[in-house]
Amino acid sequence: MVQFRSKIALVVVFALFAASPALSATLRISHNLGYGGRESLDPISPTRFFEANQMIYDQLVRAGPDGQPNPALAIAWSSSPDLAEWTFKLRSGVRFSNGEPFTAQDAAYSLQRILSPKLASPVRSVLGIMDSIEARDDMTLSVKLKQADADFPIVLTDYRVRIVSSKAAGGDLDAVNDSGIGTGPFKVSKLDQRGTTVLAANPDYWDGKPGVAEVDIMAIADQDARNQALLAGQIDITEVTPGEIGLFSSNAKFIVQRVPAGLWNPIVMRTDTSPFNDVRVRKALRMLADRQSLLSLVVGEGNGAVACDAPVWPGDPYYNSSLSCPADPEGAKKLLGEAGYPRGLTVDLYTSAAQPIMVPLAEAYQAQAAKAGVKVNVRVVPVDGYWSTTWMTPNRPFVVGNWAQRPAAQVLNEVFRSGAKWNETAWNCPDFDALLDEARRSGTIDERKALYAKAQAILAEEGGAFIPFFRNEIRVYSSSLDHIDNVPSMMLRWHKITKK
Amino acid sequence: MTLLRALFSRMLSLVVVLCVCFFALEALPGDACTTFLDQDAQDPELLHNCRVKLGIDQPIPIRFAKWAEALLHGDLGTSVARDRPVAEVVAPHLRNTFLLAILAASVAFPVSIVLGVLAAVWRGTAFDIGMSAFFLVAMTLPEFLIATVLIFIFAISLQWLPAITVVATGAPILEVLPNIILPVAVLSLVMVAHTMQVVRTRVIEAMQSDFVETSRLRGLSFQRVLLGHALPSALPPTLNVIALSLASLLGGVVVIERVFNYPGLGTLTLQAIHDRDMPLVQAVVVIFALTYVSLSLLADLISTLLDPRIARRAD
Repeated sequence: MVQFRSKIALVVVFALFAASPALSATLRISHNLGYGGRESLDPISPTRFFEANQMIYDQLVRAGPDGQPNPALAIAWSSSPDLAEWTFKLRSGVRFSNGEPFTAQDAAYSLQRILSPKLASPVRSVLGIMDSIEARDDMTLSVKLKQADADFPIVLTDYRVRIVSSKAAGGDLDAVNDSGIGTGPFKVSKLDQRGTTVLAANPDYWDGKPGVAEVDIMAIADQDARNQALLAGQIDITEVTPGEIGLFSSNAKFIVQRVPAGLWNPIVMRTDTSPFNDVRVRKALRMLADRQSLLSLVVGEGNGAVACDAPVWPGDPYYNSSLSCPADPEGAKKLLGEAGYPRGLTVDLYTSAAQPIMVPLAEAYQAQAAKAGVKVNVRVVPVDGYWSTTWMTPNRPFVVGNWAQRPAAQVLNEVFRSGAKWNETAWNCPDFDALLDEARRSGTIDERKALYAKAQAILAEEGGAFIPFFRNEIRVYSSSLDHIDNVPSMMLRWHKITKK
Repeated sequence: MTLLRALFSRMLSLVVVLCVCFFALEALPGDACTTFLDQDAQDPELLHNCRVKLGIDQPIPIRFAKWAEALLHGDLGTSVARDRPVAEVVAPHLRNTFLLAILAASVAFPVSIVLGVLAAVWRGTAFDIGMSAFFLVAMTLPEFLIATVLIFIFAISLQWLPAITVVATGAPILEVLPNIILPVAVLSLVMVAHTMQVVRTRVIEAMQSDFVETSRLRGLSFQRVLLGHALPSALPPTLNVIALSLASLLGGVVVIERVFNYPGLGTLTLQAIHDRDMPLVQAVVVIFALTYVSLSLLADLISTLLDPRIARRAD
C-alpha cells in the first residue's frame, strides 16, 4: 500500500518504488470481505473481523501445535476432582492497549458475555457448558460447568474466545464490544473494513515485541485478485486452493506451505432415512471407495491425508490412528445384496460449490460407486441457500457437507451426539453418547484417548458420515517473510513473523 | 413530440427493468439471511429472527409496493445487509465508477479521433491495416481477458503498476488516480476500438463527397479541407457512437472492477447480489438503467440536433 501511495501518476515512479522491496517492516495480508464491510471488532460477533481480532485480542488458552492447550493470558489451570469447576491463574502485568491493566474481571466479563442471548453469538453453543463465571481475585478466574468436562481448556482454545476490556463497554454483558481495546500484539490504528485496516505493533506485548512494525489488512473479495496482488507484490501472504499452487510453486519469490489441517468434507447419509437407515447400506457406500485415489483426484497428492470416517484429524491428541479403510467394491456389492439390493442401488447425491471441492468430490465418488453397482446421480444445486434448504433437511438424505477443523471433543459432541444441533447424519446411538459422557468425566488423558478412540471406531464402522480425507491448508507467502510456523492459520502467531 | 415520445419509451423501459430485476432476484434461492448466516441458517430460530429484523419476512408484493412508493419519494431505502441508507452506501462507489468512466472516455475520445483520421488519410497503408487489425482484436476479446493480460505484463512481469486497486472506497481522488492506470487503459482500449472505426469511415466518406472535391478544386490545401470540412462532418456520428459506447462501458465496468478489486459500482453490484441485499441491488440497477437511458437519449438528441433531416422525417 505505502509503496503505491504516490500521488504522481508516473510509471517511472512506480518502477522505482516497485524495484526496491518495501524497507518498512509492514506485513500486508488480505481478508475476503466475507461480511461485506460489516466486519466487527467484537470477537464473538456473528460478523467478526477475525483477521484483525486474532492480532488485537489474546486468548486465555491457545491451541498448541499438538492440539493441547497452551498458556496465553491464563498461565496455569486446575480443576475440582469432579472436573466441573475450573480455576485459571492469570498472567499479571499485562496491559490493554489503552494502558489499563488486565484483570480477572475482564476475563470473567469476556466469557460471561458469550452466553448473552441478546448478542446471539455463534460461540454460545460452543461454551454453553459454562454455568457461572467469577473473578475470585484480581488474577484468579473460576468457571463452574453444568457438567464435568475434562477438556474444558481445549474448548477455550476456540478461535473466537478472546479477552476484551470490560471497561470498554461499561461492563454491559449484552453490549457489542467492538472497541478494539485488547492485550494482543497489535493495536488498531485505522479501521477500514472495505479498504485497508492498519494495525500497529504493541512494543510492550507480554510475549515479546512483534517482528513487524505494522500490519495492513486489505479488503480483496476476489480470490484471483488476491493471487494477482501476491504475484505483483502488493500483499505478502495468502491462502490458495490446490489448483492455484502452480502459479507460485516454480517462482523463487514465493514459498508454498502445505499445512496439515483437519478440514473435512463428508458425504452425509441420514441414518434415520431409507435406504441409509440400514447399517449395511451405509457400510457398503463407504467400503466401495478408494480414498487414496479420491484424495489425489480431488485435492491432489500432498494436499491432504486419508481419513476413515471419523472427524478427528491426525493432528489431534485424540486421533485414533488404528482405523483402516481399504477399498473393497466386491465386499460392498455383497453387503448391498444382503441389504436387499442385489441389483445395485440408485441414490441422489446433492452438492454445491459452497466449497470448491464439493462438486469434484461428488463426481469422483460417483465414478467409484458405479464400479460397485451403485448409481449415484449427482445433483448440483446453487450455493445460495444450500445450507438452509438442502443440507440437513430430511428429504435430502444424501448430501456433501463442509467442516472446519475442530478439537475432538467439540466435533464429536456438536456433530455426532444424538440431538446435537449440527447432527447432520441424525446419528442416534446411546453407546456412543455414553462414551462421550464418560470421556468428559475421565481424569487422565490416556483414559480419554481410549474412550474417544472407541467412539471414532463406532463412527467408522456404523456411522452415517463418509469422510474420505482431511484437507490441508495451503499457504503461499513472499520469501521476504520468515518465522511462519507450519500450523493452521487459526493457530498462527503473527507477532513472531518477521519481514526482510 | 419526438422528444416526448422518446422520453416516454425510456421511462417505460426503466419501469420494466426494475420489475424484472426485483422479481428475478426474488426467484433465486436464498435471501439476505440465508447468505448472511451461511451454515447457521440451518437454525430456524436464528433464521426467523434475522428475517424479522431485516423486514424480509413480509410477502414479496408488499415489499415491492413499499419499495416502489419510497422510490417515488426519492428514497432509495436502507441496505438490509449493511444497515445504512442505500444512498450513503452507493455515493462513494458511484463517484469511483464515474471517475473511471470519465477518465477512460477522455483518453479514448482524442485518441480515437486522431487514429481514425490518420487511418482514413493513409487508407490502405500498413498503418491503416495494422490499426484496424489491432483494434478489431481488442474489440473481440472480452475485457477481463485484456485486463488479465495487461496485469500479467505490467504488474506481475515488469512490476510497473499495481495489479489491483487497494484504496478505501471513499479515498480522495488523488489517492485513487495512480491505482487506476490499468483499468482506464483497458476500458479506453475497448472504447477506441469502437469509435476509431466510425471516425475512419466517416472521414473517408466526407473526403469523397462533392463538397470536399469542390473545395479541393477551389485550391484549398489538403489540411484545410480535412480539418475544416471533412472532420466536422464526421464528428456528429462519432459523438453518437461515443455516447452509446459509454453506456455499454457500464456493463464492462462491472467485470473490470472485479478483476482490479476497484471499489466502484460494479464491485458493489456483485456484492449486493451476493448478499441478496435487494434495496441496494435495485438502487444500483436504477442508476445503471438511468445512465443508459440518458446516454442513449443524449445520443439521439445529438443526432437530431446535428442532422435536422431526422427530426423532419419524424414529423
